[in-house]
Amino acid sequence: MGAPSRRESASDTAPLQRSQSLPHSVTVALGGTSDPSTLSSSALSEREASRLDKFKQLLAGPNTDLEELRKLSWSGIPKSVRPITWKLLSGYLPANVERRPATLQRKQKEYFAFIEHYYDSRHDDAHQDTYRQIHIDIPRMSPEALILQPKVTEIFERILFIWAIRHPASGYVQGINDLVTPFFVVFMCEHIEEEDVDAADVSRVPADVLRNVEADTYWCMSRLLDGIQDNYTFAQPGIQMKVKMLEELVSRIDEQVHRHLERHEVRYLQFAFRWMNNLLMREVPLHCTIRLWDTYQSEPEGFSHFHLYVCAAFLGRWRKEILEERDFQEDASVSMEDSLSDGAQELRASSKRTSWRKAFQARPLCAEC
Amino acid sequence: MGNRTEEDYNFVFKVVLIGESGVGKTNLLSRFTRNEFSHDSRTTIGVEFSTRTVMLGTAAIKAQIWDTAGLERYRAITSAYYRGAVGALLVFDLTKHQTYAVVERWLKELYDHAEATIVVMLVGNKSDLSQAREVPTEEARMFAENNGLLFLETSALDSTNVELAFETVLKEIFAKVSKQTQNSTRTNAITLGGAQAGQEPGPGEKRACCISL
Repeated sequence: MGAPSRRESASDTAPLQRSQSLPHSVTVALGGTSDPSTLSSSALSEREASRLDKFKQLLAGPNTDLEELRKLSWSGIPKSVRPITWKLLSGYLPANVERRPATLQRKQKEYFAFIEHYYDSRHDDAHQDTYRQIHIDIPRMSPEALILQPKVTEIFERILFIWAIRHPASGYVQGINDLVTPFFVVFMCEHIEEEDVDAADVSRVPADVLRNVEADTYWCMSRLLDGIQDNYTFAQPGIQMKVKMLEELVSRIDEQVHRHLERHEVRYLQFAFRWMNNLLMREVPLHCTIRLWDTYQSEPEGFSHFHLYVCAAFLGRWRKEILEERDFQEDASVSMEDSLSDGAQELRASSKRTSWRKAFQARPLCAEC
Repeated sequence: MGNRTEEDYNFVFKVVLIGESGVGKTNLLSRFTRNEFSHDSRTTIGVEFSTRTVMLGTAAIKAQIWDTAGLERYRAITSAYYRGAVGALLVFDLTKHQTYAVVERWLKELYDHAEATIVVMLVGNKSDLSQAREVPTEEARMFAENNGLLFLETSALDSTNVELAFETVLKEIFAKVSKQTQNSTRTNAITLGGAQAGQEPGPGEKRACCISL
């Protein structure tokens, strides 16, 4: 784990177009030492313990300094404080400690009022297609051991259905279902003993606790989606634009790979569509996604713009394999994806990512091009 | 149909798999190209493809099969992938009537985006689940006949008719291409018609998007 990064000011909302001072050597290992699955609590390194202390100090005050929290979270959030930190970073939980219980209560009440009001309409003509799609998609998600537990399936169905009918501009689109999982898993971790949520028996969790987790998951997912809704509106303009931007970015930072793909007629849309649509969740294991989201939630436009640079770094990670591939007509997507999932554990969001952004900012990227 | 080394082929035929989500498009593809079936396959996002080279007589045909997501929202983005397709398998799940009821809508979309000469087969998948059948074979067969489509029932799970379905579509495409060739003065350079007519196709030009029927 490198030193906590000194990231740019939070007021910067156009990371692609501004020049700003950036760290020279930020190295963040995704799935590295701060990762909960590779580190048991008893084996906390000194560094990790001190990081956790910093979080605890920051969270102990009557008003949480969100700017500091973002800085600290950028390079990974310790597992034990991740649930509260995510709720704060997403703007769901107020910075003021005294306001939190009432806010949570109100939001949870509001969510269950939606359920009462709308959920029975899932079999109506107007909504049955939406519900059917959600219903058939959920069993086709991972991690199966968790998702296939009836209580969890029901929670996901409710969250997705309510979100879909309250957001008719996009409605439910395959891929949105994946975005529920990290929130649900992180918030569940507070209430189970198992180290691994996959192995947890959710039916043993008290009903009122599950209700709160469900409401919290709904609201945090909604906030995430607010920032990327054009990914899912008709014709998915957000994704089309981001794929074009990725192409433009790669053409600048790695001309050799870009030309290679071009020569072999591999279209960016072929491989990067899913990277954007599912935020790389199909490409990396869940614990990597969770770690990645620590950073995304610390960035002003993490899930939209910053994700682009992560995708570029991800492509860069496979440049050797890509350049060796001569016949993409065969199975471009398949062979690339195989190697992607095999190597996902090694995913590193390195200094490259920030230096690329620097290069990019020097020559503003036209979003329309 | 036999397999050949992948580099060595005379034609590339692009074939698209379409139909509602959950009907088994991805498993038909993996059964045909890799002889694999997965009970818990994830939903397909966007577009994926896989290829297999097969022999038809003395001609090596590289079938490039494009698998698309079944969800309506994706269609705007996947429509570009119909371009250059010379064959299509329109798949429904014979245990779910709803997936058959919308076949006409899929057909319309296909003809809106693809060449009118595209070879289309209606495929009722999941024939291994006959006890749960909701779409009678004859009804689907009649629909196919009335609409000029080929028709087969398949099971990606137990392999029934999967090979035959793809083979039939490829043969039909091949017959069309051959006929077109006979009408042309250049009998052995048809590879990929249209755009390059009159030019000798180079080694890199054996591409699906250049085939025109």
